[in-house]
Amino acid sequence: MKVDVQLTINGQPAQFRVEPTERLVDTLRERAGLTGTKEGCGVGECGACSVLLDGKLVSSCLVLTVAAHGCRVDTVEGLARDGRLNDLQRAFIEEGAVQCGYCTPGMLMAAEYLLGRYARPTTEQIRQAISGNLCRCTGYRKIVSAIRKTARQRAARRTGR
Amino acid sequence: MSWLDSRRPRYDAADKVTGKLLYPSDRTMDGALWVEVVRAAHPHALIRNIDTSRAEAAAGVVRVLTAKDVPGLNAFGIQVQDQPVLCHDRVRYQGDAVALVGAESRRAAREAARLVEIDYQVLEPLTDPERAMAADAPALHPGGNILHQGHFSKGDIEEGFGKSAVIVEDVYQVPMIDHAFLETEAGLSYYDGEVLVVESCGQYVFRDQTQIARSLGLPLDKVRVTAPFVGGAFGGKDEITVQIHLALMTYHTKRPARMVATRAESIVSHTKRHAARMYYKTGASRSGKLLAVQARFVSDTGAYASLGGPVLNLMMEHAAGPYLVPHFQVDAYAVYTNNGFAGAFRGFGCTQACLAMESQMERLARALRIDPLRFRQMNVLHQGDLAALGYPMKLEVGAEATIRSARRSKLWRNRRALRQPPASYGPSRRRYIRRGVGAASQMQGLGLGIGIPDYAEVEIELAPGPRATIKAGTTEIGQGAYHAYILEAAERLGLEPGQIRVVGADTGRTPDSGTTTASRTTYAVGNAILLAAGRLEQELGRRAARRLGWPAGAGKLRDGGFTGSGGWVALDELLAGQRVSARATFHVPVQDVEMGDGLPHLLYSYGTHVALVEVNTLTGEIRVVRLEAHLDGGQVISRTGFEGQSEGGIAQGIGYALFEEVRLDRGRFVDTNFDKYVLPTSLDVPVDMRTVPVMVRDSTGPFGAKGISETCMVGPTPAILNAIEDAIGVRFTRLPVRAEDVLQALREKEKKDEG
Repeated sequence: MKVDVQLTINGQPAQFRVEPTERLVDTLRERAGLTGTKEGCGVGECGACSVLLDGKLVSSCLVLTVAAHGCRVDTVEGLARDGRLNDLQRAFIEEGAVQCGYCTPGMLMAAEYLLGRYARPTTEQIRQAISGNLCRCTGYRKIVSAIRKTARQRAARRTGR
Repeated sequence: MSWLDSRRPRYDAADKVTGKLLYPSDRTMDGALWVEVVRAAHPHALIRNIDTSRAEAAAGVVRVLTAKDVPGLNAFGIQVQDQPVLCHDRVRYQGDAVALVGAESRRAAREAARLVEIDYQVLEPLTDPERAMAADAPALHPGGNILHQGHFSKGDIEEGFGKSAVIVEDVYQVPMIDHAFLETEAGLSYYDGEVLVVESCGQYVFRDQTQIARSLGLPLDKVRVTAPFVGGAFGGKDEITVQIHLALMTYHTKRPARMVATRAESIVSHTKRHAARMYYKTGASRSGKLLAVQARFVSDTGAYASLGGPVLNLMMEHAAGPYLVPHFQVDAYAVYTNNGFAGAFRGFGCTQACLAMESQMERLARALRIDPLRFRQMNVLHQGDLAALGYPMKLEVGAEATIRSARRSKLWRNRRALRQPPASYGPSRRRYIRRGVGAASQMQGLGLGIGIPDYAEVEIELAPGPRATIKAGTTEIGQGAYHAYILEAAERLGLEPGQIRVVGADTGRTPDSGTTTASRTTYAVGNAILLAAGRLEQELGRRAARRLGWPAGAGKLRDGGFTGSGGWVALDELLAGQRVSARATFHVPVQDVEMGDGLPHLLYSYGTHVALVEVNTLTGEIRVVRLEAHLDGGQVISRTGFEGQSEGGIAQGIGYALFEEVRLDRGRFVDTNFDKYVLPTSLDVPVDMRTVPVMVRDSTGPFGAKGISETCMVGPTPAILNAIEDAIGVRFTRLPVRAEDVLQALREKEKKDEG
């Protein structure tokens, strides 16, 4: 038995005919060709497959595609606009927060989720926010710096300074 | 301007933050088969029969392969080919591969894999290396269970202990741990004409090419291997993983094939850091002179050789740390068991030895009531000194400089004040909090050591623009080596980094630059870039003579042009629309004495780490509050990369100290995913990390540079253990140190103190 599923991925409508057991991470990677979303563990521990589902941060390895029917899915591929990197992506590059890069898409989505909820997160809030995303290369410090920098920049823009 | 020690962002980050970069696990092709490996059901068993008929008949299955389908050598291994590509008569660990299923979908491959029927005669697993060493233990390999042993001595160990006023003796135990690279083993294989291409995740494509060709019975030129960008490795992808299996499926089906390991399969199947028991006895004089170091190592190398021999060699070479010791003895054994299999892992044996030796040094210093870093400095090796194994330290030794740097740090100078919990903690919390500061020093051999071919060939091509392309055969496993090559080339060629690109790790397109291991690439490939640049200049000098009528003579690439006998000319003018390229090979220099595979090294990097930890005596929880790394990697090439390596090394050192252990139960893996194999998260690693480059320029390095990618993870673990002792007066000799271990130790200490 296959099921028709409609999603809005990075603002674009998409339709898939999937098995009821298919995971969202596989739909994104294998059907939609959006391989920016990574799989690191398959059990929701590493955060490499993090995406936003109707604005909420989820591990796409733990979400069945049928359960996402009618939802908005935002992935790393949707962060840049018209080929221009967003401020968070630029901060990750400038701060040296990227090494092998396999955790990076999930980290970016977790950071966007945080920054959407807290305009001026503390360092502790940033560490908490990415504590579900494992990174084996960087030791996290430069990732925290990049998120803090972006938060400051966005706050400054909002206050018009 | 100089590009050395720069904070310029690495060029590959842009494709990583957008998700554009394709990793081995992202690669696919139309019609690609999914390959599933049928692995051993038991850690030790004889195979009586393999029946693939039900699997072959399953829906979507295209081919099932077993040992009889391996056309060439059914064995692989970096050093000793003792590991079957597909087992036919016996399995020696839980990850052993017995059959391969190729199917139209991943699901079909997985389901069919369960239908391969293997009749086993189960054998008792060998799980204790010291028992496996015994003469009456059943042999796992024809040569017996001792893969490798080494015995070295200097001076007279008994005389050393006789003269010692203080002697410390203990046994240290370190567990098997996993690399936990975020991208599991993955790849894609296909035919390009008559050439079998394997796009995979290995750390040395040329050796993978040899291993694939040997097992498939193909000439080298019919196999091409690529692995430019990989999602982490740390040594864990040095040995063959998916490569031969992929190639085998494509060879038999003529179809593209894909593999992506699950995390459980990854943990069960690939190499590990060696678990080891380390028996140490060290003695020092009343005035603080280190007199004797005696060590005995038994390392659990698991079911197959991989690099278990060389890892043991490095344990022996680094057994006495960066210290001058007149009397030294080491006896070491790497023993086969059915506990997975061990091999290369960042630190490569130094990690284990350093944990034990730096614990011993700390305990000697405490017994002698000497400042622990001063005690290390009093005994540190200098250029010209004889190392523990008796060979001279010929090149610059930065060990003392790193200790001086650490002693100057605020963290060390204020360590007594820092032992007080901060005022922000309320009185009830302060009651239970104990803080301590600890340090550790280490050295780490760079390159493969004498006796193992260690060279890097690169090609540089200059093209109009001007632009330069560096072709290097090493893999970008995350460490930032390609970025370092660009900075090195920019510095030498007089170009902007943006004008230079790297083509990497492709046996069909790049020269053989050696392994992506052993802290060697920035050094070895960097040196080859300098040599190739010299050849380019010779060629450009000839061109200038020909085209511009300059007097024949040498010249230098500078400021986007060429400076020679006739002055300066822009490169574009000199190239006149043409390309010029040059190749060069750098051979990593070695010692004069040869003591065994890769033993010893000529080149070392050095480091001293200082940790501030906090122990909650109510809960047993340990928190690393601050960690500082004082690292000598010679001239820093990329400061961002240098810090990045160091900070990642600190995180891995924290994991080794406090969290990580792959537990086995009678040869079966207990922890096969990140739910039970606990890695440090952002909450476990301090934001308060500082990396201080101590640049003792190496006279053989490119611009004086050496690698630090291993040194940086070796020191944090013993520094943390030493800090814990400073905090609560308990010496831990076994990793990892978990909250429950702390509580139990505190209870025992209380009893002892009362009694």
